[in-house]
This record gives sequence, C-alpha cells and structure tokens, in this order.
Amino acid sequence: MEQVMSSISLSAIAPELVLVACGLIVLMIQAVFGSRFRDSFAYVSLLGIGGAAFLVLTSPGAFESKIVEYSFCDMWVVDNFSRFFKLIFLIGTGLTLLISLRYLDNEAMQHSEYYALMLLCTVGMMVMASAAELITIFLGVELMSISLYALAGYTRSRMMSNEAAIKYFILGSFASGFLIYGIALIYGTTGTSQIPAIARYLAQAGAGAAVLVMGMALLIIGFGFKTASVPFHMWAPDVYEGAPAPVTGFMSAGPKAAAFAAFVRIFMEALPTLQTDWIMVIWLIAVLTMTVGNIIALVQENIKRMLAYSSIAHAGYVLVAFLAAGELGLTSILYYMLAYTFMNIGAFAVITMLAGAGETRVKVEDYRGVGYKHPVAALAMSLFLFSLAGIPPTGGFMGKFYIFSAAVKQGYIWLAIIGVLNSVVSVYYYLRVTVAMYMQAPEKDEDVPAASALSPALVVAIFISAYGVLSLGLFPSTYVAMVKESFLSFL
Amino acid sequence: MNPYVPVLIMLFLAAATAAGMIAATTWIGPKKKFADKMEPFECGESPIVNPKQRFSVKFYLVALFFVIFDIETVFVYPWAVLFRELNWFGFVEMMIFIFILAVGLIYVWRRGALEWD
Amino acid sequence: MESLSFPLLSFLVFLPLVGVLVLLFVDRENEAVQRWTALTVMGFGFVLALFVYGGFDPENVGFQFEEQYAWIPGLGISYHLGVDGISLLLVMLTAFLGPICVLACWTDIRSRLKEFLVCLLLLQTGMLGVFVSLDLVLFYVFWEVMLIPMALLILIWGHPARRVYAAVKFFLYTMAGSVFMLVGILVLYFYQARTTGTLSFDLTNIAEVPLPFSLQLWLFLAFGVAFAIKVPMFPFHTWLPDAHTEAPTVGSVVLAAVLLKMGTYGFLRFNLPLFPEASVFFMPVMIALALVGIIYGAFMCLVQKDLKRLIAFSSVSHLGFVILGIFSFTVQGVQGGVLQMINHGLSTGALFLLVGMLYERRHTRMIADFGGLSTPVPALTTFFMIATLASIGLPGLNGFVGEFLILLGTFHVKPVWAVLGATGVILAAWYMLWMVQRVFYGRVVHEENRGLLDLAPREIGLLVPVVVMMVWIGVAPTTFLEKSEPAVAHTLRRVQESVQTAQGRNAPWAMACAAWDHLTGK
Repeated sequence: MEQVMSSISLSAIAPELVLVACGLIVLMIQAVFGSRFRDSFAYVSLLGIGGAAFLVLTSPGAFESKIVEYSFCDMWVVDNFSRFFKLIFLIGTGLTLLISLRYLDNEAMQHSEYYALMLLCTVGMMVMASAAELITIFLGVELMSISLYALAGYTRSRMMSNEAAIKYFILGSFASGFLIYGIALIYGTTGTSQIPAIARYLAQAGAGAAVLVMGMALLIIGFGFKTASVPFHMWAPDVYEGAPAPVTGFMSAGPKAAAFAAFVRIFMEALPTLQTDWIMVIWLIAVLTMTVGNIIALVQENIKRMLAYSSIAHAGYVLVAFLAAGELGLTSILYYMLAYTFMNIGAFAVITMLAGAGETRVKVEDYRGVGYKHPVAALAMSLFLFSLAGIPPTGGFMGKFYIFSAAVKQGYIWLAIIGVLNSVVSVYYYLRVTVAMYMQAPEKDEDVPAASALSPALVVAIFISAYGVLSLGLFPSTYVAMVKESFLSFL
Repeated sequence: MNPYVPVLIMLFLAAATAAGMIAATTWIGPKKKFADKMEPFECGESPIVNPKQRFSVKFYLVALFFVIFDIETVFVYPWAVLFRELNWFGFVEMMIFIFILAVGLIYVWRRGALEWD
Repeated sequence: MESLSFPLLSFLVFLPLVGVLVLLFVDRENEAVQRWTALTVMGFGFVLALFVYGGFDPENVGFQFEEQYAWIPGLGISYHLGVDGISLLLVMLTAFLGPICVLACWTDIRSRLKEFLVCLLLLQTGMLGVFVSLDLVLFYVFWEVMLIPMALLILIWGHPARRVYAAVKFFLYTMAGSVFMLVGILVLYFYQARTTGTLSFDLTNIAEVPLPFSLQLWLFLAFGVAFAIKVPMFPFHTWLPDAHTEAPTVGSVVLAAVLLKMGTYGFLRFNLPLFPEASVFFMPVMIALALVGIIYGAFMCLVQKDLKRLIAFSSVSHLGFVILGIFSFTVQGVQGGVLQMINHGLSTGALFLLVGMLYERRHTRMIADFGGLSTPVPALTTFFMIATLASIGLPGLNGFVGEFLILLGTFHVKPVWAVLGATGVILAAWYMLWMVQRVFYGRVVHEENRGLLDLAPREIGLLVPVVVMMVWIGVAPTTFLEKSEPAVAHTLRRVQESVQTAQGRNAPWAMACAAWDHLTGK
C-alpha cells in the first residue's frame, strides 16, 4: 500500500487531468445551463489545451534533461519522448477545434459533446504516449478509439457519417481485440506487462519463444489497424470520407501519431531483442502501405478520400523511419509526425472551409476556380499539398529527407528508393488539386464553392499550420534539437 | 508415452461417433418435406409474428446505465471492506471516483436520457 | 573584391524574393507598377551579377564569393554559396535574361499579371540558387523549389489546349529524376560520414573523399538520371517538346535558356568531379546518347509543323552538343560545352522570344500559316535571321565558337564522334534555314499576314542586348572563356587522371560485375 501511495504523482499526469477536467466542465455547462453558454465550450476547451501544453512544457526538465520519471508503480512514464508526442496531440486538437468552430454552427452541431469527446480523445492519446505498461497503453487506445467512434458519426443526419462510425467501431474493436490478445500472450511469456521489465526479461531469457513472437505479431496487427497500414487499412477510406471534415483531419494526424508513439515505445523499448523477427514483416508492410496508399489515391475523386489514402501512404513513410530506427530514425518519426500534423490539418482546414453545408463540395472538381475566388486559401492549400508531396522548402520535405536519410544510413537503400518513387507518384494526385484550383475559372461564380465555414478561428488555424509547415521546412534545427532530446530517453 | 494420449484418443472417438451418427441420419434417414414441417415449431402453434423484432433503443440505454452504475459496486465493495486501512487516502480516491460518476449521472439526467418518452 | 564580406551572392539570389514581397502589396489593378517593380528588381539583380562578374578572379581556381552559415548543423547541412568560372557564366546568363523576360511579357500576359511576375521572380531565385549552391541539400532544395513556379507558369498561362498535360508531365518527369538524385545524395553523404567521420553535405568536403568504383557507378546513374532528364538527353526528352510548346513565351525562354542548363551544369558540377572513374566508364554511353540526341533532334526538327516545337527539338539537338563536349573530357570540349550552354541560352531564348512576338501578332505558331513575312515585318525578320544564324553556328556569331570548340575537343579523342556531331551542324543549317525560308520569304500567301505590325521599340530594345551578346561572344569569346578555363581544367583534373587508369575497364561485363558486387554487399 505504501508503495502505491508513494508512487502516485499527480504532477506527472497534470496535463491529462486538466484536459479531463475541462472536458467534464464543458459537459456540465451544457447539462446545467443548456445551450445558453454554447460559445464557452470552445473557449474552455482551448483554455484546457493551452493549460495542458503549458504544463507539458514547464514540467521539470522538459526538453532539457534526459531524466525519465516513472510513477504509478512504473505504469506511467514522463520523458521527452512522451512530452513531444503530447505536444503534437495538443497542437492537433487545438487546430482542429479552431477549424470546427464555424463548421459546427453551420451543421447545427454546436454541442458540448463534441468538445468533450475531442478532449477525452486527446487524453487517450496522451495516455498512449506516456504509458509504460501494456494495459495502460490499451486503456489509452480504448479511450481514444471510443471517443473517435462517436466523433466519426457525429453528423447524425448524414448516412455516410453513420456508416463511418459503425465501420470504424466494428473494425476498431476487432483491432483492439488483436491488441489485447497480443498483450496477453506477451504477459503470458514474460510474466509482466511493464515495458522496462519485459525488456529486462527478454535480455536475460533471450528471444525465440513462439508464443512471444505470436504476441508480437498480434501487436503488429493491432497497431497496423490503428495506424491504417496496409493490409489493415480497409477501414480508413470509408471512415475518413464519412466523418465530418475537421474530425477527419484530426483523426489522420493525432491518433495516428499516438499509435506510432505506443508502437515505437513497445517495439523499441520492450521488444528490441525480437528485431530479427519483425524487421522483414515491417519492411513488407511499409512497402505495401506506401505503394497501395499512393496508387489508390491516384484515382480518387473525393478529396477527403484521396487524403485518406494519402494518409495511409504517409503511415508507410513513417514505418520506413520505424525500420531504420536508431537516432536518426526516431528523430525522423517525431519530426515527420509534427510536420504531418501541421500540413494535414491545414489541408483539412481548407477543405472544411469550402465543404459547404452538409459537405457537398468535397470533390476534386469542385475546387475549380478556388484559386481566383479564394486566393489566400488556395495558396495555403497549395502549400500544404506541396508539403504533403514532400517538395521543399516545406516541413514535409524535411521530414521525408530525414526519413530517407535514416533509411539510407541503415542500409535500406531499396526501401528509400521505393519511398522516393512513391513520393513522385503522390505528387501527381496532390498536384491535381492545385491544378483544379488554378485551372480556368468556371463559367458562373456560384460554381466555385463559397467559404462557408470561414471564421477568424479558421484563419488563425490556417496561418498557424502554414507557419508550422514553413518553419519546419526552413529552420528545422530548433525542432530537431528538441526532437533529439526527446528520444534519447530510451535509446 | 504421454499419459494424455489415451484421453485424446477417447475425445476424438467420442466426437467422431457423435458426428458420425448425425451424418448417418442425415444421409440414410428418409425425409419428406412439406410447408408445415418447415415452419418454426412453437408448441404446435403456427407462428403469428416475425421473431426478429426490434426493441426500442431506450431499453439499451437503460441497460447501459445499469452496467455503468452497477460497476461502481465492484469498486466500492472492497473499499468498504478495507475502509480503515485505506484511511483518508482511500476516502479521497473514492470520492473522486464517485464524483466523476455523479458528473456522468447529472449529464445523463439533464440531457434527458432518463426520461422514457 | 575578394575581401569584401558583403554577401553578394545571397543578395543576388534572394533579391527576386524581395520583389515578390513588394509585388504582394501592389494593387492588383495597377499593372504598370507591377511591371516596373519586376523590371527594376531584375535589372538590379543584373547589376549585382555584374558586380560578381567584375569581382571574379579568373586566376583563382576555387570557389569565390563564398558564404557559409550552418543551417541544420545536426546533419551537417550548411547554407553554402559560391561561384566558380562555370557557374559564374550561368549566373550571368540567368541574371541577364531576367529583365529581358520581364520586358518580353510586357503585353503578352493578359490575365493575372501579378501572379505571373511572382512566379517569374520565384523562378529566378530558384535558378540562381541552383547555380550558386555548394551544399548538396541546398542545391536539391533550390532544384525542387524551382519546379513549382515553372509548372505553374505552364499550367496557368500556357496554351489552353494541352497545358495541364504538359505541366504535369514536366513536373513528374523532373521530380522522378530528382528523387533518384536525393537518394544518391544521401548515399554519398553517409559514405563520406562513414569514411571520414564528419557529417557534411558540403560539396567541397564530399569531393575530397575518393569513392570506390562500384559505388561511383550507382551514384553516377542516380545523379545522371536527374540531370539527363533535365538536359534533356535522348531518350528522356519527351517532356520537353510538350512543355516548350505549351508554355507561355517567357516560360519557354526561361525553360530553354536556363532550366535545361541545370542538367548539363549538374553533370559538370557533380558527376565529373565526384565520380570520375564512373564518368570515364559511362563516357561511351553518354557520347552515344548525345550523338543520337543531336541527330534525332535534328531530324525531328525537319518534320515539325509548329515553330515552337521545332525550336524545342532543336534544343534537344543543341544540348546533345553540350553533352558531347562535356564527355570528351578535354579542356576545349568542356569549354565549348560551357560556352555552348550560354550560346544556346541566348540564341534559343531569342528564337522563342521572336516566335512569341509572332504569336502575339498572329495567334498561330504553324509554319504553314506564315510565309513571306519579310515584307510586312522586316525588323522582326532581321532579328530572326540573326538568331537563326547564331543558332546554326555561323562564324562570327556565338554558336560557331561553342560548336567549334566542342568538335575540336571531341576530334582529339575520337574523330568519328566529331564527324557524326558535325552532321548535326549541317542538319541544323538545313532545318533552320528551311524554316526561315518558309516563314519569312517567298510570297505572302495568307492575307492576314499582310497587315502585321513590325517590332515595337520595346521589343527591339529587349532584342538588341541579346544580339549584342551574340556578336560579342562570336567575335571575342576569350573574354568569357578565360573566366571559366581554370575551373574547367580543375573540374577535369580527376577525370583525366582516371582516363589514364581506366583503360581496361570499359567492358560491359565489368560494369555488371561491379554492380553485382555492390548489390550483394561486396
């Protein structure tokens, strides 16, 4: 009992507590006062996010020392790795909230639940990043996923949204099943579910137990689902297409990063001794993910669906970095996820802005003439798309540059070549949108989508994203210094 | 060699016999199919409604609330048993837990999920 | 000038960006101010380039006007600029054509002039950046950055029928090539990191590390594909006719005059000095492709009906000469190649400008729609004739010097190559003069052509400097050649050494063996 009590460290989970509290406050505001103070939901939530970010940044030793602080009976760890990921999540959530303000008004969905779910989902992701124990990771996964299921189906009146929620729920629960079974098998062999303890056990006992390998394989499947890697990606396009646009942007950035955070922590910290077993599998998954994602994206007409496939492809690039591991590999994962958060949510900000009531303008051809009617938005969209395509001087380029550097450094030259060829393929479909935006304007002005979800908050979100993309591309050093501090904790 | 081998053989034989019997009756037994015989059997009565009926979603809501608020007992019970040993620490922890549940209850109540109509 | 710590090159490269910033605040309707802003910026850029030219010390072999700041120190990426004799000439060409391009689009661009000028200025930054970067990553960044404005130029202001196809094709081709270069850069980087223990993408550091032959082969291919597509060498040339034809006049001028040179420049700057043995090894292949390009391009010209397409294919032919010169590995040949890059920039640039002017008047580029133009537009005819003669290498004009030096250099190595190359000169005279005859001489067949207006003062004003340069280079090429000679000799040093040692290596199986060794991990 003493041990339990002494290891409780509220300061270690302070950012999460703040978010949970804000989520509950938002719920209570609506429950008690009704919709009278509906404007306050967003402020409270953003305040919570700002507070959590502040707590993450000012926690003792943040991005300065390499101290790793365990608490809650070694179930919880606060290190720079988790801090960096938490910042990514908070940035993602914050931007998403800014984007969705006006959108929710337009769709008559300005409810507290949206904000509460967003915040709780973020807490789930933060738990995944900070958990040092498999069950805790699973807890985070479930908290995140369940919130996301609800968010995906948030536009109740739209069939597509309902379909997205159901599909996501069924396949997601399935994936969670794989995950928990894998955890069980690993616990069965090693006798512990704590990541450092597993690593210690495996270092002594050596690898090779078939059950352990099977557990690991199940984990790969589970995380494969959560990161939408081929061949476990089937849910992603339908869900991304059906979910409300801001949620789609959020889903493809934050939760993906969270899944990678947990994936990296488990595989790099607990299971490095099994590397020989997983390397070929992940190699194959990485190649398939990049190639399938990009090639199917080529023929998509719906821009949300296109970005869904592109998001699959981007998971593939991150898997390349995952394989390369080492200092550079981990740097590139963190760096890429940050850049991806900015560019993808930025792109979805523009999509949200133009989608119109009921999201009717989400085809690539709907973007014709946007370049003339909304020059700034079109410029920003082009920037985000070029960044996604990995063209300098954007964060996407620097991210890919780091990833392929890491791959070449570790001798995965073929993987790097497949990766860069894939980026070329991807240029085509990103370019299509730009082409559409700047092609000859349609005959009538009404044919160009109106900026229906435009609000000061959305503009702020677009500018923040653009700033992030450009500064990551032009001055990567500051971020890299931060990233470097972040992974040293368990290398 | 292994003491369990006979058990396995026994299991296999039992399963094979059962499966064989079912298979044999299906293959050998004479069958006469007519409409009444294909009806689901309800104590000699013809079925009057479609058995695949839907329940109102309210039932599920109630069931869900029951599960949520019932689970708390699982936590509260051991806490009650160890109340003295846990002392203030336990008390505060349990209050936080109950508080969160209470927030949930207020939410559910105010949003009208407890009303039947 | 050497001791001057003023970051002249940075100013030169980023000056157009300042112009972009200014343009962003200019009212959309106020087109005159936009034009003059762009012209001023470009003109000032040229003045800066003249300072660079004036301060350049031809005796000094190394890079000059160097600037180096750490950019991403963690990976050894630095912001490193500098010019040597080769890049100096190309920088001059780019800066020289800047104001001319702005003048050329004075009335040509009718819609969204502001955006057009922004693209043009961005392009200028990208191109200058490519020529002065001495850091591989910086080079790659500029190389890619320049793609976007160029693609947009074609995409938005191109000819409506096929501009999207042309722009996308241009973009994808170039991008496909350059990603191989990216992998090559990374391999190079890690090889040098492993052997020397220092992290650096700096060209001057990397050039000091000798690479094993088998690795050189792969890297030569990786870099070579990117450059060969840009040049473009046969068989990677298919994007060029489309891009040239569909681009607006200024786009074609910039494409032909500067962008293509980035490919040949890349060969000179990277492939020859970094992979000398591989360069020697691939010399026969490169020469063969160059010769095929020269002759194939020329024959394609003969059958073109579209003026711009004809000039585009003539570029394939002319750039073949440059490659031929570079891969002769003789100082004359490479010098000729460098000069020919400038010449082609001037003469083909001028031809595209003139075709653009014709198009502006007549809204067609089909040869069959013209005929007898010398009567209504004598001044235009005169300029066209001069550019044509420069392009086909008439002695006294610039084209002659370059081609002569290339053929001379090649002749020293293998006479038969020079002979084959020379057929390209003859064919060039044929197709160019035939085209001129069909367009400008004879009777006026179409009534519309009778009333065409001759050149305006602005147009004459922008053509005269080009013609002056053509004559200058033609009459006194030494002024320019002496600037680049030390750099060329320096670049060739290692290649010429390996020419001596690599005599026995040029067998196809040797390449296969070495490649196999490398793949299987030596």
